[in-house]
Amino acid sequence: MAIKLIGFAQSPTTRRVVLVLNELGIPYELESVTEIQTIKTEEFITKKHPFGKVPVLCDGDHVVNESRAICRYLVSKYQKDSKTVLYPDDVHKASLVEQYISYELSYFDPPLSKVLYQEIYAKRRGEPTDEAVVKQSLEELSKTLDIYEKILKDKDYLNGEYSLADLFHLPCAHIVYNATGHSDIFDSRPRVKNWLDKLRERDAYKKTYAE
Amino acid sequence: MTIKVIGFARSTNTLRVISCLNELGIPYQLEPPADFAAIKKDDYLAKKHPFGKIPVLYDGDYKISESRAICRYLVSKYQGKYNNTILIPHDVHEAGLVDQFIFYESFYYEPVVAKIIIHEIVLKTPESEIAKRALKDLDKVLGVYDKLLEGKEYLNGEFSLADLFHYPCAHFIYSSHADLWDKRPNVKKWLNRLRNRDAWKASLEKKNKL
Repeated sequence: MAIKLIGFAQSPTTRRVVLVLNELGIPYELESVTEIQTIKTEEFITKKHPFGKVPVLCDGDHVVNESRAICRYLVSKYQKDSKTVLYPDDVHKASLVEQYISYELSYFDPPLSKVLYQEIYAKRRGEPTDEAVVKQSLEELSKTLDIYEKILKDKDYLNGEYSLADLFHLPCAHIVYNATGHSDIFDSRPRVKNWLDKLRERDAYKKTYAE
Repeated sequence: MTIKVIGFARSTNTLRVISCLNELGIPYQLEPPADFAAIKKDDYLAKKHPFGKIPVLYDGDYKISESRAICRYLVSKYQGKYNNTILIPHDVHEAGLVDQFIFYESFYYEPVVAKIIIHEIVLKTPESEIAKRALKDLDKVLGVYDKLLEGKEYLNGEFSLADLFHYPCAHFIYSSHADLWDKRPNVKKWLNRLRNRDAWKASLEKKNKL
């Protein structure tokens, strides 16, 4: 039975999972959610996600949600069948990948998500953009990217070799880069720029974003 | 060589790691920095944590930061070595669900409790709009958790890293908002189990000594 992924096809959280599915060559079906009401029904909340969110992955009878948890599950179960290594076997290397995954959650995603919300989602909802929030978030993101510029010294990827940590950063960065006027925040830092360029060269990236 | 943790025993993130060390029976030393200013100095940023944060763990020459990453490392390397406590199950499906609950903690729980802790305890502005809104948000989150815990002692049935991650923050704000937690019978019982674990009590002794 093919893996089923329920999500908004173009949302960064769904794309995070699609990137892993494509990196590991795992066949799947995407069940596109077209209306937000679908994921707020009692049935969805009881059976799929108690907070009424997507993506949700169904692997046979096994249901798991939260994009990063889904990605980890896919790696644990299917990486051994693929040539691509997203998560090293060695416990010391793997834990440094975990550290960078935590950096993404703690220092990168929060300001980036605020910019994303104000510049894209608020507009879609007809809400005014809060320029003060955008400004403050860009300042915070700038500080984070200054640190990433140091972390990436002599490295193409955060932990040296490509890993799940790099992949996790890409979807939100992609939208902010392409769909808001803020690509310079990344491009003005040569190592950060090189890192993103490398991520975009991957076949899985091209396949994910062609769809 | 004993594991060394750089951190403050009264910080939620350090307590998360201390709990994990205690749960797995791993010996360690806690080395608190001189003060909060020390972790923002150039030397600390260059050698310990580029974002100027604690905790940082040293296992011999190996260094790792970020409390949840540290805990996962400790589980990967030491689970089963000192005692029989399982924090992440071996079965890939069960582990996937523990991961899912770990992300609930990161996305729906921690941001809200962190705001309450910062405004009530650090800034001492409990009447601020942010604190009040965070309390309302926490009320909704605990409503979801009460349903998640129906028929279960812990989030994934058996005690796991996901439950452990939740407790340190709860500890700091429970006494000022006990009604919020206790009005939900499943959440109340869950918190009671977590605070009565030997590993947590040992972690608190560390906090209270320093």
